[in-house]
Order: sequence, then C-alpha cells, then structure tokens
Amino acid sequence: MTVVPAQQTGGGGGSSGLYDVLELVLDRGLVIDAFVRVSLVGIEILKIDVRVVVASVDTYLRFAEACNRLDLESGPRKSPGLPDIVGEITESGARGKSKGALSGAAQTISDAFSQAREEGQSESRPRARKTTSRKRGDEE
Amino acid sequence: MSTYVYGIAARSHPSLPAEMGGVGTPARPVRILEEGELAAVVSDAPEDLRPKRKDLLAHQNVLNEAGGGGVVLPMRFGSVAPDDETVTGVLAERAEHYLERLQALDGKVEYNVKASHDQEAVLHRVMSDNPELRALAESNRSAGGGSYEDKLRLGEMVAAAVQNREAEDAALLRQALEGTAAAESVGPESTGWLANVSFLVDRAKAEEFLAVVERIRKEFAHLDVRVNGPLPPYSFVEPAPSEPAEART
Repeated sequence: MTVVPAQQTGGGGGSSGLYDVLELVLDRGLVIDAFVRVSLVGIEILKIDVRVVVASVDTYLRFAEACNRLDLESGPRKSPGLPDIVGEITESGARGKSKGALSGAAQTISDAFSQAREEGQSESRPRARKTTSRKRGDEE
Repeated sequence: MSTYVYGIAARSHPSLPAEMGGVGTPARPVRILEEGELAAVVSDAPEDLRPKRKDLLAHQNVLNEAGGGGVVLPMRFGSVAPDDETVTGVLAERAEHYLERLQALDGKVEYNVKASHDQEAVLHRVMSDNPELRALAESNRSAGGGSYEDKLRLGEMVAAAVQNREAEDAALLRQALEGTAAAESVGPESTGWLANVSFLVDRAKAEEFLAVVERIRKEFAHLDVRVNGPLPPYSFVEPAPSEPAEART
C-alpha cells in the first residue's frame, strides 16, 4: 500500500503532487472571458496510466492466468475467510500456517499485474495490440 | 506587456505574496493590483508561456502561498490579460460576484481525493466473494489452465467483478467523506483511478477530514487512497452547477 503524505503544503509540490492536481490546475479554476488562455497544445505531462482493468482480450487472459495460479497455490483453503487472512498477511507478513501458500499466490498475482502494467504502458504509445492475434493463432 | 493572472482575493487579505517568483524564466515577480475591495495576484506574462512543468508549479505555488493567508479565487492556469487595466476593469465590473464567492469560500480549502485498487488485494477479494468465479477458476485449473475460450470467459468475469468492486468502493468512499465536507465536486473519470472527488472542507474540520481518510485506509486495505490538499478551491469557484466546477452539497 503506497503511503502518500496527507498534507502537501505551499512551496513543496513534488512531482507526484503536481501530477495528481494537474487536472485541477488545467481544467478547474476561474475563467474570465476578457482574458485569453495559453494554448495547452503540446502538454506532455498529461499521461494517464493505462490500468489493467480494461476490456481487452489481453487483460482477460492475464486475469485468467493470475486466477489459475492463485487457486493452484492456495488450494482448498480458499474460503469465505480469505480476505481476512490476506489482510493479516499484508499487515504482519508472518502468520505461521497459511503464510507460505497464500503469500506465494499473492506474489504470483502481483507479478502478473506488474507485468501487465509494464506491458500496458509500453504499448500505450503505439496503440498496436498485435499480441491478441498472435495468441489466438497459437491456440488454434 | 500582457499580464498573467493567478487569482483574485479581497483587498483586506493580510498576506498576498508580492515579490514572490511567478511563471516564466526567469521567474516574473508577483504583483498585486487593487480595485475597490478586491485585489488581483498577477505578474508580467512571459511571451512564450506554455504549460510546462515549471510554470504549472509556479502557478500552483503562488496560489498555495496566497491561500495560506486567506481565501483566494484561483484562476485556471494560463489566464493572460492584455494589460493591468483590463484586470482591474474586470474586478470593478464583477466586484459583487467575486466578493460573494470570496465570502462563501472563506475559511475553506479543497482536498482532492483519488483512489485506486491495490490490484493484488482486490483480486483476492473478488475471488473469495464470488463462488461462481472460484468454481470456474477451479475447473480451468483442473483442465490444465483451460482452453483459450475458457480462459477468456474467466478473465472477462474477473474483470467485470473488479469493475463492479470499483463502483462500490467509489460510492463507499464518497459516503464516508462527504459528512465532514461542505461541498463536493466529482472530477473527470479516468482509467487511472476509481474515484476522483474534490471536497470543500472547512479549515477547522480539516483534521477530522484527514482522520476519516486514515480510517478508510485502514479499513479498506485493498484501496490506495491519495489525498492532495489543502489546495486553493479550484473546483468551487463557480457558484452554479455549471460546467466542470460543479459543486454538490
């Protein structure tokens, strides 16, 4: 869980701070007809992260893969109580019995996600998603 | 020489940041223009002003500094008047409106809250909440991962479940926070977050507001909550529910 300082006061304004308030500075605030506005053409900081959750074949396959691995390693222990156990593990990191299997699964999923995220980002510029057709080809 | 405008304040504002470095390279010094009961925070406008990181930060910093001493109506980045007289002319012409806004926002600041899912944690949660998903994953697994179609079906269901969860958590977040806020304004949706909401918070209640954020972080470990503030009330400068600065109470 990322910890971000709750207070960001004047003068500071680090990079993440600016990124997070960018849409406020650019799209909110007072506009007065008698003034002109500087052109926003060419603004390069306005990049939105490509998230994993988008409706694409690649995403679905990655989710499926992550789930497949999750169940393999947590086995029959996947019960309604799972979220609690997972919560405890993320917090303490040392809960004897279930730790090995579950955190292993968590790690696997985490890997799948960061992989997905990296690929998503590198693909975001040229919007080509050739992988889809390739994977389909492999399957047949 | 055209004039760059940062914001509008009451003339009685105790500490407007005159002489502070503003936009441009070198940074143009901030000046204060006064007209009746109002004051405008301005500087000379650089000829080639573009939304560069350094200038965006300068705009933001001047407003933060001014906002620290009292309420300021922040301008959107990049507002340029042909000259100082145009600025004071606007202040004179719309004095009543700006004074009303300044009064309405007096003692209040904006907090922008963005939340996203901790991916790993939300997947665990979605799987354990949904027996059908678990069953499907199980059958795929026993079939050695399942066929391409099986995988696709499972993945699509998981993606949908995660998206439902996003909507639920966004609503939950707003419910938890709106109690301590005077107004809220929903920002643009994006794939970068599941919630993007600005809250107008009384300075006296800021601590309480941040305490609620902390509570949410603890209670919902699968949520990654980012808070930016106190900020000038960017999202609340317009009174009526019009265009993006829509304030809901």
